[in-house]
Amino acid sequence: MTALPLVGFVALSSALFAVGLFGILTRRNFILVLIAIEIAMNAAILNFVYFGAFSNGTAGLTGQAVAVVLIGFAATEVAVGLAIVLALNRVKGTINVAQANELKL
Amino acid sequence: MIPLLSVIVATLAAGTVLTFLAGSRARWVALATTIVFLAEVAALFAAFPGWPGYNSALVPGFADGESYSWISIAWMHVNYTVGVDGISLVLILLTAVLQLATVVYSWEEQKRPAAYFGLVLLTCFGCFGVFIALDVLLFFLFWEAVLIPMFFLIGYWGGPQRRYAALKFFVYTHVASIVMLVGMLALVFYSGAASFDFSAIYASARGLSSVLQSFMFLALFFGFGVKFPIVPFHTWLPDAHVEAPTGGSVLLAGLLLKLGAYGLIRWAVELLPSGLHTMQPVLYVVAFVSIIWGSVLSLSQRDMKRLVAYSSINHMGIVLLAIALDSSLGLLAAVLLMFAHGIVSALLFMASGSVHHTFGTRDIPAVGGITPTTPTLSTLIMVGSLASLGLPALISFPAEFTALLATWNTLAYWVFVPLIILVVTAGFYLWMMQRMLFGPARGIPSTAHDVPWYEGAAMAILVAFTVLFGILPGLLVNVIMNSPIHGFPGT
Amino acid sequence: MRRLEWGGWVSVAFSGAAMVVGVLIGVGEMVNPGTYTDVRYTWLHLAPAPGPFPNGFSLVVGTLVDPISALMLIVVTVVGFLVMLYSIGYMHQDRGLPRYYAELSLFLTAMSGLVLADNLLEFFVFWELVGVCSYFLIGFYYEKPSAASAAKEAFIVTRVGDIMFLLGIFLYFYNFALAGPAGSGGWAANGFLFVNGNQPYLLGHGLGGNSTLLTVAGIMILGGAAGKSAQFPLHVWLPDAMEGPTTVSALIHAATMVAAGVYLLAVASLFLGFTSTDQLAIVGIGGFTAFFAATMAVVHPDIKRVIAYSTISQLGYMVMAVGAGFAMVGLFHLFTHAFFKALLFLAAGSVIHAVGTQDLFKMGGLRKTMRLTAIAFAVGGLALAGIPPFAGFWSKDDILSAVYSQLGSHPAYWPFFLLAFAAVFLTAYYIFRAWFLAFSGDHPRDPSLGHAHEGPWTMQVPLVLLSALACGAGLLIFVPGFQSLLLSGAGATGIPPVYGTTDLLISAASVALGVSGIALAWVLWGNGRVYALPETSAAQPVRRLLLKRYYFKIGYDWIGAKGVYTIARAADFFDRFVIDGTVHGFERAFALVSNRLRRIQSGVVSDYAAYVVAGLIALFVILLIVAPYVVSRLGGG
Repeated sequence: MTALPLVGFVALSSALFAVGLFGILTRRNFILVLIAIEIAMNAAILNFVYFGAFSNGTAGLTGQAVAVVLIGFAATEVAVGLAIVLALNRVKGTINVAQANELKL
Repeated sequence: MIPLLSVIVATLAAGTVLTFLAGSRARWVALATTIVFLAEVAALFAAFPGWPGYNSALVPGFADGESYSWISIAWMHVNYTVGVDGISLVLILLTAVLQLATVVYSWEEQKRPAAYFGLVLLTCFGCFGVFIALDVLLFFLFWEAVLIPMFFLIGYWGGPQRRYAALKFFVYTHVASIVMLVGMLALVFYSGAASFDFSAIYASARGLSSVLQSFMFLALFFGFGVKFPIVPFHTWLPDAHVEAPTGGSVLLAGLLLKLGAYGLIRWAVELLPSGLHTMQPVLYVVAFVSIIWGSVLSLSQRDMKRLVAYSSINHMGIVLLAIALDSSLGLLAAVLLMFAHGIVSALLFMASGSVHHTFGTRDIPAVGGITPTTPTLSTLIMVGSLASLGLPALISFPAEFTALLATWNTLAYWVFVPLIILVVTAGFYLWMMQRMLFGPARGIPSTAHDVPWYEGAAMAILVAFTVLFGILPGLLVNVIMNSPIHGFPGT
Repeated sequence: MRRLEWGGWVSVAFSGAAMVVGVLIGVGEMVNPGTYTDVRYTWLHLAPAPGPFPNGFSLVVGTLVDPISALMLIVVTVVGFLVMLYSIGYMHQDRGLPRYYAELSLFLTAMSGLVLADNLLEFFVFWELVGVCSYFLIGFYYEKPSAASAAKEAFIVTRVGDIMFLLGIFLYFYNFALAGPAGSGGWAANGFLFVNGNQPYLLGHGLGGNSTLLTVAGIMILGGAAGKSAQFPLHVWLPDAMEGPTTVSALIHAATMVAAGVYLLAVASLFLGFTSTDQLAIVGIGGFTAFFAATMAVVHPDIKRVIAYSTISQLGYMVMAVGAGFAMVGLFHLFTHAFFKALLFLAAGSVIHAVGTQDLFKMGGLRKTMRLTAIAFAVGGLALAGIPPFAGFWSKDDILSAVYSQLGSHPAYWPFFLLAFAAVFLTAYYIFRAWFLAFSGDHPRDPSLGHAHEGPWTMQVPLVLLSALACGAGLLIFVPGFQSLLLSGAGATGIPPVYGTTDLLISAASVALGVSGIALAWVLWGNGRVYALPETSAAQPVRRLLLKRYYFKIGYDWIGAKGVYTIARAADFFDRFVIDGTVHGFERAFALVSNRLRRIQSGVVSDYAAYVVAGLIALFVILLIVAPYVVSRLGGG
C-alpha cells in the first residue's frame, strides 16, 4: 500500500473540524448546531483512525479502538442533544439557540 | 505502646460527631469529650520528658511520631504523620483548657445548642490537628478545617453585623491560606523532599538557595501572618471579635491566633533558617508596627471587646518580635507568650461577654461603677487586665520578661519600643477599669446580677491557670525547651 | 459586722507575729551579722543551649538577710503591725473591710519579700506587687471618681519608672554580669549577694569610672527609684495617692513602699556602684525634690497632702544622701522617717476620724479635745523639723553633713546642698503651720465640727508607741553596733563620713533654721486665726502656682488625655478609614469589574462556544508563537 503523507489526512480532518466549528458558531438552529458538532467530532475520530493506522503495534490498535468507542459516544451525545431540542421546543416553542438564554445572569 | 495522639484524634472526632447528633444533651456530650480529652492530654504530659512525672517508658519525645502512608502515587507521598514536641504540647494543653472553659461558659446556650457545641469541638479538634500534624497536606487539611466551624460560629451565633464579619474573616484567612499553600508546595517541590513529611522537608530544605528561601519564607509569613494578625492585615480581627459569640471570640483569640504563630515557627522558621535571616528586618518592622498599633488603638476603643481585640494585636506583635529574634530564648519567650495570651485573652473575652449579658452593652463609657453590683465579674476583669498588662505572679510576666530579655539580647536599645508600649498597655487597661469598675454607678439596669455559676466557673478555671503558671513558669519552660531543632537542649 | 472585725483581728495577729519574727531577725542580724543563711529556689531554669546563654542560667528566688535588709525588715514589720492595729479603730465604719485587710496583708507580704529579695529580678517582682497593692488601696474608695483616677495615675506614673528599672536590670545583667569573671556569670542567680565582701561588684571589676553603659544603667535605676519614691519629675502621683485611707497613706505612702525606691538606690550603690555622673544626677534629683516638694506643702490646705509633700521632700533627702555615696546614712533617715512620718499620718488620721474633714482651715482648737493626738502630732512635727533630740534630727543632720563633706571634691553638689538646706526651714514652717491650724485656737473654725474626741485604744496605742520611736529611734546612733553599721555601709563606698567641728556647725545651722521656721509658723498661725491673702497681693500668683503644683499634674494630664489620646483617636480613624477603607476599596473595585464582566454571560450557547474558540486561539498564539519567542530572546540575552 502506497503511503500517503500524513499531513494530507491531518489537513482533511482539520478542514472538517473548521467546517464544524463554523457551523457551531454561526447556526442558530439547534439541530444544525448539533449536526455541526457531529462534523467536528468526526474530524477528531478521523484523526484517531489516521494516527492509529500510521502507528505500529498496540498503539495502532488503540487508535482504532478509541475511534469505535467515540462513535458510540457520538451517538449517545446526539440522543441527549435531540432530547434537549425536544424539551426546548416544548418549553420555549422554538429551537433557536439564541432564545435559550435562561442561564444569563 | 499506645498511639496516644491518634487516640486523641479519634476521641475528638467521635466526640464532635456525637455532639452534633446529641440534640438537647449536646452539652453533656461536649463536656464528657472535653474531660476525656483533658485526661489524655495529661497522659501526654506524663509521657513527656521535661515534665516532673515523666516516665520514659511510655512515650519518647518528638519521636512519638506516628506515621502511616496515606496517599502515595508516583512521586507524591503524603503520609498521616503526627507527633509532638514541647512547643506543640504546650499549645495542646492550651487547646484542652480553652475547650473546657468554652464549653462550661456556654453551658446555657439556647440557640441550636447541638450545632453550637459541635462547632466548638470541631474548632478545637482542628486546632489540635494543626498542632500535631507533621505532614504538609495533613497540616493544611486541619488548618482549613478550623476555618469552617469558626465561620459558622460567627455567622450564625454572632451579633448584628455577623454576616459581614464572618465573610471578612473567611476571605482574609482563606486568601492567606492559599498563599501559604503555594509557599508550602513550593517548599516541598523545590527542595525535592522525598515525601510531604516535616522531617523529609527538614532534611532537604536546607539546601535551597537563600533567595528561594526568602521568597518561600515571605509567602509563608504572609499566610501565617494574617492569622496573627499583623498590621496592616489585621482589620478582620476586631470585626470578627465584636460580632462573634463569646465562645467564638475565646477560641478565635485563644487558639486561632496561635495557629499562625505556631505555623510560622514550625513550617517557616524551622525549615527556612536563611529565609528568616534575610527577612528578619521585615519581621522586625512588622512586629514593631503591630506592637505600637495594637496598643495605641486599644486606647481609643469604646467597645470592650474591640479593646481586647486590639490588645491581642499588640501581644501577638510581641510574639512575632520574639520569633523574629531567631534565638532559642526568643522562641521560648514566643511560646510562653502564646500560652499566656491564650489564657488571658480568653479570660478577658469571657469577661466582656458577661458584661454584655449583664448590662446589655459593652460600651465602656456607657456603664460605670459596676463593682458593687457585680463584684465577681469586676474582680475577674481586674485579674484579667492586670495579667494582660504583665503583673508579676500572673502568667504574662515570665513570658513578657523573657521576651524583653531576648529582645535586649539581640536588639539592645530597641527594646525601648516594647517597653514604652508597656506603659500604654497599662494605661488603657487601667483607664478601662477606672471607667467601668470604679466611680459612681452608671447605666446599670435594675435586673443586673452577678455572673451565673457556669460563666464564673469557666473564668475561674482560666484564673487558676493564670496564677499557677505565673508562679511556676518553670513547669512550662521545661516542657518547651524539650523541643529538638530550636537550639533547645531537647531530645 | 462582727465577722468583719474578726477578720481584722486575724490580720493584726498575723502581722504581730510577723513583727516579732522580723524584729528578732533584724536585731539578730545587727548584733551578730551573718546569722541567717540564705534560702533559695530555682524559679525558672534555662538549661544550657546554643544562643545567648551557652551555659544556661537560672532565675532564682531567695532570701538575703544582711544589715540593710534587717533594718528595712524592722521598719516594715513594726510599722505594718501598728498600722494594722490602728486600722481596727480607724476603719471600723467602712464597708469592704475583708478586701481592706486582705490587700493590706498582701502588701505586707510583698514588702517583706522586697526587702528580703536576694536578686534584682525577684526584687522587681515584689516591687511590682507592692505597686499593685498600692493601686488597690489608693482606689479603696473606688466609688469616688477622684480615688479611681488617683489609683490609675499612681500605677501609670510608677510604671514609667518601672520600665526604666527593667532596662537597668537588663543592662546590668548582660553587660556586666555575663562579662564578669568566671564563676560570677549569671549573677541574676546570685543577685545582690555576689558581693559578699564590701567591694561593689562593678567598681571592683574595673567597670566603674567612665563606662557609658554603667552610667546609663545607673540612670535607669534612678528612674525606677524616682517613680516609686515620687521624685521629680515623677512625683505627681504621691499627693493624689492620699485618696486612699489614711492608714494606707501612713504605711504604704510614707513609711514603706515609697521608701523602696531609696532602698533600691542604696542597694545599687552598695552592691553595684554608680559612676560620678550617676551620683551627680542622683544628688541633683534628690536635693531639688527636697526643696521643690517642700514649697508646695507650704500653702496646701489639706492636712494629708501637706504630709504627703513632706514625704516627697524627705525622700529627696534620702536620695541625695545615697547619691553622695552615703547609702547607710540615707537608710538611717529612711528608718527614722518611717516612724515619725507614720506617726504624723496616724495622728492626722486620728484628727480626720474625729472631725470628718481634711481641710485645715475648717479645724482649730483640737488640742483641747484631742490632747494625745496633739502631742503625738507635735512629736512627729519636731522630729520632722529636725529638732534635737527627736529622731529626725540625727538622721537629717547626718545627711547634711555627709553631703557637705563631699562638696570639696564635687563642687557641682553645691546648689543642691543649699536647696536641701533651705528646705529645712520650709519643713519646719509647713508642719507647724499644719499643727497650729489644726490644734491651736479656741474651737474649730467650721462650727459643724464640734464633737471631736480621741479614737479607741487600738488607735491610741500605735500613736503612743510611734511617738516613743519618733523620740528615741535617732538615739540608736549612740549604740555602738548601730553606729558601726552606718559607718560600715558608708565605708563600703570608700568614703568615710565626717564627724567633727564642721558637723557641729551644720547641726547648729540646721537647728536654727528649724526653730526659726517653727517661730514663723507660730507668729503667723499661732493664735488659730486665718488670714486671707488679699487678691491683689503680689504673692497671689506664687500661691496659685504652688496650689496648682507648678502645673505638673495638669501638664501630665494633658499629655495623657489630650496628647496620647488624640494620637490614638487619629490612629483609630486611620485604621477604620484608610486601612479598612483600602480593603473596602478592593471589594468595591472587584464588584465593579465583575458587574461589567458578567454581561458576557449572555446565556447563549454559541456565544460560549465562541469564547472557547477564542481562548483556544489565544492559547495557540501564546504557546506556539509568543512563548518560543520570549524563551529565545531570554536564552539569547
